[in-house]
Amino acid sequence: MKEAGEFAWLLEYAGDEIAANAAVRSALAALQAAKLRGVRDVVPAARTLLVVGTPELDPESLRAFERVFERIRPGGPGPRSRTHEIRMVADGLDLDEIGSRTGLAPAAFLETFSGLTFTVGFLGFSPGFAYLYGLPRAFYLPRRGTPRVAVSAGSVALAGPYVGIYPASTPGGWNLLGTTQRRLFDLRADPPFLFAPGDRVRFRL
Amino acid sequence: MTPARGLLVLETGLMTTVQDLGRHGWGAFGVPVAGALDEEALRLANRLVGNDDGAAALEITLVGPVLRASGAVDVAVAGGSFGPAPGKVIALEDGDVVSFTAARGAARAVVAVAGGIDVPVVLGSRSTCLSARFGGFQGRRLLRGDFLAAAPPGAPPLLEAAADLTEPGDDVTLRAFPGPQEAEFDEAARAVFWGSRFRISPESNRMGLRLTGPSLGLQETATRASEGTTRGTVQVTADGQPIVLLAERPTTGGYPKIAVVAAVDLGLLARTPPGRSVRFERIPVTEARRLLVARDARLRSFAGGRT
Repeated sequence: MKEAGEFAWLLEYAGDEIAANAAVRSALAALQAAKLRGVRDVVPAARTLLVVGTPELDPESLRAFERVFERIRPGGPGPRSRTHEIRMVADGLDLDEIGSRTGLAPAAFLETFSGLTFTVGFLGFSPGFAYLYGLPRAFYLPRRGTPRVAVSAGSVALAGPYVGIYPASTPGGWNLLGTTQRRLFDLRADPPFLFAPGDRVRFRL
Repeated sequence: MTPARGLLVLETGLMTTVQDLGRHGWGAFGVPVAGALDEEALRLANRLVGNDDGAAALEITLVGPVLRASGAVDVAVAGGSFGPAPGKVIALEDGDVVSFTAARGAARAVVAVAGGIDVPVVLGSRSTCLSARFGGFQGRRLLRGDFLAAAPPGAPPLLEAAADLTEPGDDVTLRAFPGPQEAEFDEAARAVFWGSRFRISPESNRMGLRLTGPSLGLQETATRASEGTTRGTVQVTADGQPIVLLAERPTTGGYPKIAVVAAVDLGLLARTPPGRSVRFERIPVTEARRLLVARDARLRSFAGGRT
C-alpha cells in the first residue's frame, strides 16, 4: 500500500499486467461491496487500485481489506459485467501500417481482430475512454512517435496491449484502426457510460 | 414575475469558470474531479456569503470578469485581490457593476454569490469540466453576455467577518511528502527536486501546473502502466521537468510521481502567478495529514477573523 495523498492509497497487484488487472477489478468489486467508511472515490488502472478517502478513511481498515482480499481473491467476470457488440467501420488512417507491422494484410488483420473478445480493464484519460485487454502479443504496437493533435470521436485505436475507443475528439497517439458510431459517454443516457470495468467487448465489421 | 437574481457577465476575464468542491465518485469511469483549484478560498468565500462550503462559485484567473448585479446580490472574494476588497462581503444592489480586472499579486481567486450559482448538477457536481465540456455553465468558461442565476440565499452573510489567506511572495515554499515512485528516482534526481527552485510556467492550466528548472534527468516512461492520480501529485515528464497535478487532471496517468504537495498548500499554489519560483520542503505524510485535519477544523469553525 503506497501513500498517494494525505488520505489516498494505491493498492498494487503483482504479476503480468493482464493478471494484475484482473486482480484490480476484483479488488474494485470487493472494495465497493465492503463499503469502508470514508472512501470518496476508487480509480482502477492497469495494475493499481487508487483509493481516495476523507479523513474518516482509516488506513488500518484498508490494510485489513487487503489481507482478506489476498486470501480469497475471487476471479472471473463480476456478476454485473455486460457484453457489448460494437459495429466498426475499418477506415482508420493507420490501418495499412497496422497490417504491415503485424505482418498481415489489412483484411486478414481485421478478420482476426473481429474474432477477438476484449475485456474492459479500466477507464481513464478522458470520461468513458476504456482500455480493453485481449489483443494477442503479435498485435501489440508502440504508440505513434508524434501524437495527432485531434483524433475524432468514435475512433478505435491500438497501443501496447490495449484497444481503445476515443469518446470525444482529443489529441491522441494511438494507431487508428477504424471508427464506431456508438457513444461511450453520453450524459443523456442512463448510465452515461457505455462501458464499466470488467465488461466484454467484441467488434463487428 | 420578478426578474432573476444573479450576475450578468459584462467582461469575461481570462479564464472564469463555475466551480464547487468537485465531482467525486466517478474515477472508475475516467471523469476528472475538477472543482476549485483553491478549495480554501472557495470554502471561505462561501461561508462569508452564508452558503454551504461547497456551493458553486466563480473561479477567476489573472484577469477577472466585470459583472452586473440583477437584484440585490451579496458576493465575496477570497484567495487574492482583484480589485474589490478580498475576504469581505460586498453587498451589490440591482444594477451595481463590480470589476475584478485588477489583480494584485495573485493568480486566482474565488467569487462566491449568496445562494450559490444555480447551474445544473451533473454527475453530482456543478463544477465545469473544461476538457470534456460539461458541467458548470454549459461546460465552458464564461463568455460576455452569460447570465449567472443565483439560488435563493440560505443563511445570512457574515457582514462583520474578514477572511485572510496567505498571499504568495516572490519565492513560495510548498510542503510536500514523497510520492508513490520517489524511490525509483536516483539520488541525483531527488537532490535536484528537493533542493532546487522551479519557476511556474505560463503553460499551466487547471489540469496541471508546469514547472521549469533544472532537469531531474530523462525518465523512462514508455513502459510504465497508467495508475490513478491524486491532486497535488508531482509527476515528472520524459524531459525531467515536474508537473503538479491539479483539480482537473485526468484520472489516470503514466508518468512517475516523485512527490505529493501537501493539500494545505495547494490553495497557495493556485494563487501563485506564472513566473514566480517555488521550492519544495519535505515533510512526512503524517505531518501533512495533521495539517490538513487542523486546517479543515479551522475552516469549519470560521465565522470571521483570521484563519
